[in-house]
Amino acid sequence: MAYLTQPDFVRYVCSCGQLKPITNLYFCRHCLKIRCGFCICHEVDSHYCANCLENMPSSEARLKKNRCSSCFDCPSCFHTLSTRATFAQTRQDPAAGDAKVENKQAKKMYYLSCFNCRWTSRDVGIPDQPVASGGWPERPNPFSARINQLLDYYKAIAQQEKQEKLDRERKKFAIRGKYITLTDKTGLTGAMARNIAGLPSSESSSSAIANFVPSVASAEVEELPEDYHLREINLKQVTTMAQRLASPEWQPASVARLHPVARPLSVKRSQRCRACDHNLTKPEYNPGSIKFKIELLAFYHMPEVKIISHESVKPGQQSALLLKVSNPTSHEMALRLLPPDHQAETETDETTETHEKNEPKSIEKSLEKSLNLEKDTTWSKVIERKPQMPALSQICIPEVTLTLAQRDDAAEYDDDPQHDTSDIILWRKSNKLALRLKVSTDPSAEVGQPAQVALSLQYSYRNTVPPSAQSAQHRDHTLTTTVLLDLGTVCE
Amino acid sequence: MELQDTYYNKSEYVETASGNKVSRQTVLCGSQNIVLHGKVIVQSDAIIRGDLANVKTGRFCIISKGSVIRPPFKKFSKGVAFFPLQMGDHVFVGENTVVNAAVVGSYVYIGKNVVIGRRCVLKDCCMIEDNSVLPAETVVPSFARYSGNPARLITTLPEAMPDLMTEFTKSYYQHFLPTTVN
Repeated sequence: MAYLTQPDFVRYVCSCGQLKPITNLYFCRHCLKIRCGFCICHEVDSHYCANCLENMPSSEARLKKNRCSSCFDCPSCFHTLSTRATFAQTRQDPAAGDAKVENKQAKKMYYLSCFNCRWTSRDVGIPDQPVASGGWPERPNPFSARINQLLDYYKAIAQQEKQEKLDRERKKFAIRGKYITLTDKTGLTGAMARNIAGLPSSESSSSAIANFVPSVASAEVEELPEDYHLREINLKQVTTMAQRLASPEWQPASVARLHPVARPLSVKRSQRCRACDHNLTKPEYNPGSIKFKIELLAFYHMPEVKIISHESVKPGQQSALLLKVSNPTSHEMALRLLPPDHQAETETDETTETHEKNEPKSIEKSLEKSLNLEKDTTWSKVIERKPQMPALSQICIPEVTLTLAQRDDAAEYDDDPQHDTSDIILWRKSNKLALRLKVSTDPSAEVGQPAQVALSLQYSYRNTVPPSAQSAQHRDHTLTTTVLLDLGTVCE
Repeated sequence: MELQDTYYNKSEYVETASGNKVSRQTVLCGSQNIVLHGKVIVQSDAIIRGDLANVKTGRFCIISKGSVIRPPFKKFSKGVAFFPLQMGDHVFVGENTVVNAAVVGSYVYIGKNVVIGRRCVLKDCCMIEDNSVLPAETVVPSFARYSGNPARLITTLPEAMPDLMTEFTKSYYQHFLPTTVN
């Protein structure tokens, strides 16, 4: 929880070079690498309304412009509107017959009201509704005709280009027929002939393109009213920028024209490793559920480092640092501390090298790849970079290998922590371990500078993925990760 | 950073068989309607209004100093009615916070000086930041972090939120210790 309420004191280096707290990182069991939100693929799993928690299929969501059909936001303060009921006397129509006179009982009518700013749908003259949910009048978009026209036009153009591309492909591989037509002989195809004659290229998709009228920019702008600059304005009647942009189709300038805004849908998303296309997280379908079908978080797979306490960092001096390291996995973990610049080449690096060897193939192939938007691994090379490591302070690394017991849920009922006699280990408790380390600071460090130290951890990791048929994976791996510890500022 | 020990005066707190630690300096109205499901800490000057309707909390909840847990009411054409207030497991309620919600899910973090309006529904795994005001009848979805007045969604929470809250409330309970008698 401290991760959410406090600044990030401990940050891990992601494989893409970003520095993130462990809660924001993922661990791909297939590549055995850390991934973060920056270097993974986010996918929309399902749409749902965050207010009524109703699921909506993506096709329906697209049709409804990704907005809920029954929930509305206040156009004034953007809080969710609530439906309120009133009893209204049914209005007697004088022209109505005798049969209607008997129907005198009060009828329930509903209107929308904001419990935060007290805005109601009656303020802007929206009539009350006889049903509790839905049925609110939809405002027609003043430009819907033009938008539909534009949409049709661009759809037709896309269709045409696709057709042309197909034709070109076909021509490339087409076997010349026995009979040569006149147009072929003269090098004049049907399409070209039509083009030269100024006729639309093909009959099928031409109507939308032919009927399209491009917009014309006009230099003449409607004059402002005479009293525009002199009129006293009531700022309470003028909408704010946020209020206007909440409904971009209408952009009301006065509060009298604010209408309820249909609530935008939320999404459940799953995340995928971009290198191996395996899912990293996949939520359950139900919008109310907090469970995940797949949940490969760094929090469950990597040693977690926390700062217990530290002495203030002073230039040219050593200060004590107490760290807590815990093992979240269900296997025993061997841990070694390394200096941060020590980039231990693990087995995973070999795989990336082989990738690199496979990469430079024919240009044609790569072009085809980029055109078809196929899986392309070159991105990882582009974004991978090393973060700058602090040099002023260093941790004195003890040359020991520590073992961390596996996670045990029954351990909370255990006794007090075991105090160790070793100089480095302060105490052990089930899968946790407190380390006593020393931080030495360079004498040239200036007072007030941020005091940061980096530390690499080499840990053993047992992969629990069932071995796939294609590759005989070994289960035990030695992985390295680098953490950056924030120790406040350099003091005098 | 690790949670530091908080000490309390042993004579001030009552510890029940199920591990609830309730301060004597609290106002628990209608205590027969209040169910604390075990290992719940209710700190001094907290108010739980069990006289209005039932109040039920799960395990490992922390009700901080000066907070008010009050079942919500709804106005009908014939007067008002109070509704029971349900709280899940591993819920943290910060100092001087007023909770009028109908349902508070599990693994929920509510900061200090927060007002949760009437009949709000806080789903599992959500967080309301310090000094926020949640207007009446708001639904806070899972993995949402709300802040401001009126509170609005500002960001999402990490997927490991259930484990983070479990660890936090458990370690809070373990670090909530009686002062050693001199």
